[in-house]
Amino acid sequence: MKKVVKLTVNGQAYDLYIKPKTLLIEVLRDHLGLTGTKRGCNTGSCGACAVILDGMAVKSCSVLALQADGGEVMTVEGLAIGAELHPLQKAFLDHGAVQCGFCTSGMLMSSKALLDENPNPDKQQIKEGIDGHICRCTGYNSIVRAITDVVKGEYKEAK
Amino acid sequence: MSYHCPVCKKVSHAPLDLARHMIGRGDKVHRDWIYSKGFKYSELLLLQIKSFGGEGFKALAEVLEKETKVED
Amino acid sequence: MSKYSVIGARVRMIGGTEKVTGDAKYTSDLTLPGMLYGKILRSPHPHAKILNIDTSKAEKMIGVKAVVTGADTIGKKQGIWRRFPELCDEEILCRAKVRYIGDAVAAVAAVDEDTAEEALGLIEVEYETLPAVFDPMEAITEEAPQIHEGVELNINVNRHIEWGNVDEAFTKCDHIREDQFVCSSQAHMCMETHCALASFDYNGKLTVWTSTQSSYYIQVLLMGMLGMREGDIRVINPYTGGGFGSKFELDSAQFCASLLSKKICRPVKIVLTREEEFTATKRRTPMYYFLKLGAKKDGTLLAKEVRVITEGGAYTAMGATALYLTGFFSSFPYKYPNYRYDGYRSYTNTEPTSAMRGFGAPQSTFVGESQLDMMAEDLGIDPIEIRRKNGMTPDYVVPGQAFIQSCGLHQCLDKIEALIKERGKLPPNHGIGIAAYGFMSGGIFNWFDTPYSFSAAIVKINIDGKVDLFTGANEIGQGSNTTLSMICAEELGVKFEDIRIHSADTGICPPDLGGWGSRQTLMSGNAVKMAAADAKRQIMEFAAAKMGVNIVYDLDIKDQWIHLVDRPERGVSYFDVVKEAIRGRDGEVIIGRGHYTPHRKGMISPAYSFGIQAAEVEVDPETGKYKLLNVSTAHDSGQVINQVGIEGQLEGAIMMAGGYGYCEDQPMDKGKILNPSIADYKMIRSLDMPETKILEIDTYEPEGPFGAKEAGEGLTNPTAGAIGNAIYKAVGVRVNTLPITPEKVFRALREKESKQKR
Repeated sequence: MKKVVKLTVNGQAYDLYIKPKTLLIEVLRDHLGLTGTKRGCNTGSCGACAVILDGMAVKSCSVLALQADGGEVMTVEGLAIGAELHPLQKAFLDHGAVQCGFCTSGMLMSSKALLDENPNPDKQQIKEGIDGHICRCTGYNSIVRAITDVVKGEYKEAK
Repeated sequence: MSYHCPVCKKVSHAPLDLARHMIGRGDKVHRDWIYSKGFKYSELLLLQIKSFGGEGFKALAEVLEKETKVED
Repeated sequence: MSKYSVIGARVRMIGGTEKVTGDAKYTSDLTLPGMLYGKILRSPHPHAKILNIDTSKAEKMIGVKAVVTGADTIGKKQGIWRRFPELCDEEILCRAKVRYIGDAVAAVAAVDEDTAEEALGLIEVEYETLPAVFDPMEAITEEAPQIHEGVELNINVNRHIEWGNVDEAFTKCDHIREDQFVCSSQAHMCMETHCALASFDYNGKLTVWTSTQSSYYIQVLLMGMLGMREGDIRVINPYTGGGFGSKFELDSAQFCASLLSKKICRPVKIVLTREEEFTATKRRTPMYYFLKLGAKKDGTLLAKEVRVITEGGAYTAMGATALYLTGFFSSFPYKYPNYRYDGYRSYTNTEPTSAMRGFGAPQSTFVGESQLDMMAEDLGIDPIEIRRKNGMTPDYVVPGQAFIQSCGLHQCLDKIEALIKERGKLPPNHGIGIAAYGFMSGGIFNWFDTPYSFSAAIVKINIDGKVDLFTGANEIGQGSNTTLSMICAEELGVKFEDIRIHSADTGICPPDLGGWGSRQTLMSGNAVKMAAADAKRQIMEFAAAKMGVNIVYDLDIKDQWIHLVDRPERGVSYFDVVKEAIRGRDGEVIIGRGHYTPHRKGMISPAYSFGIQAAEVEVDPETGKYKLLNVSTAHDSGQVINQVGIEGQLEGAIMMAGGYGYCEDQPMDKGKILNPSIADYKMIRSLDMPETKILEIDTYEPEGPFGAKEAGEGLTNPTAGAIGNAIYKAVGVRVNTLPITPEKVFRALREKESKQKR
């Protein structure tokens, strides 16, 4: 028995007609074509599917779309403003915090949620902030350095 | 002094080296000759791999010393 | 002031912007009109005959468009070692027998994944289970069940390497050690699982988009398995989420998707689940190592004898290469006058073991470096000293095997020694352990039996001076697109932004063996450099004519400026000359061609990287738990091309190699992997990752482009050994089986205590 779900994704409102068991990640990738969010495990363990839901980083493979009804979602596609990359995106690129890129969207979302909640985390807090994410390529330290530079104000906010 | 493999053309300078060749080749003709001398091939191989001092080759080498030596 | 304009600079990776914005399309992101979703049915038994497969119910299910089994194939067996047909033993879709839990028996294509999954449940497979064997030591006995027809005692491959006279040398040694080790398996754990989107059209042509390390290998292997012409298959590599050795063999997703698509001429996409990724792909080769080492009392190593038996799993895959390389790299990085290696690979009814970053060298380095430290302690010699005394040097020849040209091992030793001195006295229960390594930059062997040069490239210069670079090399996240573009730009004398790279599409790029064995920087790089030089020559002819300078002067291009080498202020714009060159050649496009295959460089590799790593740990003697505090690496990769890329490789390698030493494992029960999920497969996460330090040294490799050699794999070799040696320094116990878990350290500590009491 399909149900209607209302979601605002990256600032755009959607009315979706879906089966109750549909996961948020399916809505984003398969229904809305926002393939930036990745499926790494489907069991909530790897973090590749992280998006921001009502200000909190969540693993979209473990959230039912119905649970997000009426909520605001940000995915990696919503990070840049127009053609201007977000400071986190610029920092990741400059620090080589991206290699294969499969963990990157989730990593960026968790980083943004962390900085939105705490604009001045120390190194330990940054590491804790991304502890729910596996990265098989970079060894994490470059990601921590990228986030640290953003915290220090090395990148001007996009106007 | 040289040691001639009983089933193929290989000639070795020492029985230990010939033993290594035979166990190493491990194909049917070499294994059958090893079985004919009362050894179990897999036991020799495992003994060689696991024992300190490489006892597997030594066991076979003793037989080869007697049976495959050729005076030059 | 760098002598290079592009090489060595810190640049943003090509493709990085697409990845951080979510624009990058990976195989699982792609859809085609009319596309179907595929799922694979796998054996629940480790060893069984397939008596019958009834797919009729699945075929009738609404939404199911095609079902295939082994009966739909042409009955071929495939393998990477194509020169040795007896080692091509994998059907992928099994016909008569299954040989491990996870072996594929059928596949379904349906309108969505849920339907496909449900249809799998309707396929009835009648098995006759057979006795199975899981331990290689049991598998090679006469009583063990035979896994492959005609392979008695399940001995799949054996390899022997020897020089000098080991038995005689041991009689001259002052001290001999014999030690045993067990090296575990490891999962590649790429963030992107294996996947393929195959589209077979009504003209009999197949296009496959797939996550792969070698588009060329997949093209050729599909050709063999489908009975098609090579040119009728096009393999395209979209953005790829990691490989690490798991993705250059033909896998079940690629084969089943292609077979299903071929049956109905509709695109089919198969994406493996994480559980399939852990259980039904391939993994690092577990090895049982028996080492005998002999030295003089001054620390000179005289002889080493290595005996290995490896757990092969159900098929050969690249396990034969791992068997060979582990034996070869057991002699690295030291000068052994006498050496002997006997290695055996045994089939077992477990997930096949194959290539994984390091390819047998992480295993050989762990065991070798552990034993060398033990030998040093027996002789009362400092671990750095014994390595210095015996370490390889430039232009060393490994007897009958390899020519080493550049070798920075001694500079690396000096740097690490200085670092350890600077660290000074350590707090209690802290220890610093070191491990040295050497590794290849691509393999010389051509077991794949390709008729093509190992790498090739095409450079096309457009009228506006922009350059299109075509290479078969695969970008899998390691940054090869960036590195190769940098090499092209440097050689051609243009800017990094002038290069647009097209890679790993067999329809438009020349063949390249792909991104494995650490070959692309050196081999693909050399091909790119040659192609750029060829295109450059065509421009320079016109520049010389245009400038009309005295014949004694040389011309060169740098930063888009063609100039006299001796008087760089005198020159012309590259852009002007390109226009004139094209007009002067009757409008013909400027195309440069390059290729590379190593020749006359021995049997293993054209060049070798070296390094030494120091790991500091802190152990809790009560619980055995330990922390990786710091891992410092001095490494010799020749001229650094992509600075950001190399740093990424080094830190990333520590995560993977550290995991191999510390926590990653795949315990099995009767062939069933017990932890096939990310929650249960323990890996190093951000909180466990040690601080890392990179110590650069300066060397130049004549065989490499601009002096470069490998960096991705060698760095994966030493960490487990460094960790083991560090724990010994910290609390005086050794663990000889990987991974070195806290539990093993705890047991070793308690055993040491009880021994001391007696």
